[in-house]
Amino acid sequence: MSGSQQLLDDAACGLARTASDGTFLHANRTFCEWVGYSSDELCGRRKLQELLTMGGRIFHQTHWHPLLQMQGSIAEVKLEVVHSDGHTLPMVMNAIRRDDGGVTVHDIAVFIARDRDTYERELLASRRKLEALVAEATRLQLELKDRALFAEQMVGIVSHDLRNPLSTVQMGAVLLSRGEATPNQLRVLGRISRAAERANRLITDLLDFTQARMGKGISVAPQPMDLRATISEVVEELALAYPGRKLLHRHEGNCHCTADADRVSQLVGNLVSNAMAYGQPESEVTVTSSVDESSSCVVAVHNMGTPIPAQVQSVLFQPMVRGPGEVQAGSSVGLGLFIVAEIAKAHGGAVAVESTAETGTLFRATFPGA
Amino acid sequence: MSVRQRNNVHVSGEGPATMFLAHGFGCDQNMWRLLEPTYSRRYRTVLFDLVGSGNSDLSAYRADKYGTLHGYAEDVVEIAREFGGERNIFVGHSVSAMIGVLADLKAPGLFAAHAMVGPSPCYINDGDYVGGFTRKDIDGLLETLESNYLGWSSTMAPVIMGAPQKPELGVELTNSFCRTDPEIAKQFARATFLSDHRADLAKLQTPALILQCSDDIIAPLSVGDYMQRTLPRGTLKVIKNVGHCPHLSEPGASTDAINEFLAEQGL
Repeated sequence: MSGSQQLLDDAACGLARTASDGTFLHANRTFCEWVGYSSDELCGRRKLQELLTMGGRIFHQTHWHPLLQMQGSIAEVKLEVVHSDGHTLPMVMNAIRRDDGGVTVHDIAVFIARDRDTYERELLASRRKLEALVAEATRLQLELKDRALFAEQMVGIVSHDLRNPLSTVQMGAVLLSRGEATPNQLRVLGRISRAAERANRLITDLLDFTQARMGKGISVAPQPMDLRATISEVVEELALAYPGRKLLHRHEGNCHCTADADRVSQLVGNLVSNAMAYGQPESEVTVTSSVDESSSCVVAVHNMGTPIPAQVQSVLFQPMVRGPGEVQAGSSVGLGLFIVAEIAKAHGGAVAVESTAETGTLFRATFPGA
Repeated sequence: MSVRQRNNVHVSGEGPATMFLAHGFGCDQNMWRLLEPTYSRRYRTVLFDLVGSGNSDLSAYRADKYGTLHGYAEDVVEIAREFGGERNIFVGHSVSAMIGVLADLKAPGLFAAHAMVGPSPCYINDGDYVGGFTRKDIDGLLETLESNYLGWSSTMAPVIMGAPQKPELGVELTNSFCRTDPEIAKQFARATFLSDHRADLAKLQTPALILQCSDDIIAPLSVGDYMQRTLPRGTLKVIKNVGHCPHLSEPGASTDAINEFLAEQGL
């Protein structure tokens, strides 16, 4: 056998020549071995398309044949070939149509493509998986949108439908206490007023929380303000709310800065309420405010008492986190510090905490200068 | 969007009748390259691509419209009304033969004759009816289409290993011919191979030629016999050919058969 004959017969790919109707004319040894038929069983007896799966045969008719006819060649078609023993082999095929002494023949080279086939199937499977995931993500997104809409509606319900009856209760209590009430009735009316006040504060917190969580952030309207005056006023009011507790205010540096005065008051209120709840009742709570030359300001609230554990400190400013130990009924739903942090953030600032047994607990909100 | 753009319509020739040539599943209007020149000398010829195939406007493809052959038939009616004349001949290959039947039923009188090349009203076996395939075979085809995604769907042109012996297809066409968006190809395959329009055959009052190949797995002889029995004015003509595209592999015998039929119809 000549070298070139052997090269063709034992080539590293299957080689075959068919008539234009697909009937085999020649097939090399590699091809015969791969498909499980002898050369005699193929040549003159079988057609290429007869070795394909039914799906492949249709494809052969609708794509392979017209392409080969019109284009003269076709490359990289992957089809399943049915071995003589019945199992199928994925094969990649190239074909050229040529003229052999006035007769049209098709010369075909085939490669087994098991790995490529497996890989492509994996690609297709992951593509399908991705498509399913995208569909799921889209569905979830729509669901979230629905929920956000619902939350927004809830905000409306809470702010109007709940606040209105509450102010009626408050006003009623005030009016009644101006009349001829007995001392006993006055005590009850006072309790009603304070409870309504607390409910109002809770509503404010909830509204702020919803606003912040809906991605809009807490709304602030910074304006030139007198920090010392604002904070002394808040501290005076707060002192009345905590009879029997010592609440001090110290101010350093300038007085003028740019911030939302109502929000700063809210921030101080929340920090003081925390300090009163978790600090030692016998030691004082100190509010410090300062404005420096660049008009950036700091508001800090300090108390002595059991330090906040380190692992709690790291999540302290997330919503629904409470300090250790007791919680006064109704005073907190765990939104206070979250709102403090959101207020600082809305001003472009930040809030930090230091807490040790020796130095006590200090919350510091810093606002950058305008 | 105009019908001309949507279906990539090409009109040539002039004559007493207009001949519409509709390609089948898999390729596009270039399938008619060997036949069309013969007919454009005698008729006005109208070549077009079904939406989703060839150079049709892919943005016009809507899965709901083209999920059944009726969507394609609506387009054919529009094309025939816009580009047709008094006497129209519809030549449909494979699935397009049935699209032609549906178009005729939607607009009776629009066509004077149908020449059906390798037609089949139903590809799947059903009781005594032998369509040639089982549902599993068609699923196998969908899988084959899918596993040729990578080669067929990318924007890269397939390797053309030279153009030996002057292929009939110009080089400029090699890149788009037979290349269909894989999703559309699969939907078209479903619309084609899962369709069953046997009941529509009996309603077709227009004369029809059933041009059947002697050895065609997609439209076996049993289907040709069935169609002749069922079509009120059907003429079966079997030509010797292996495969489903006699207009490519036996253009001479194909035109002879079509000419004989058209002559009988006085066209």
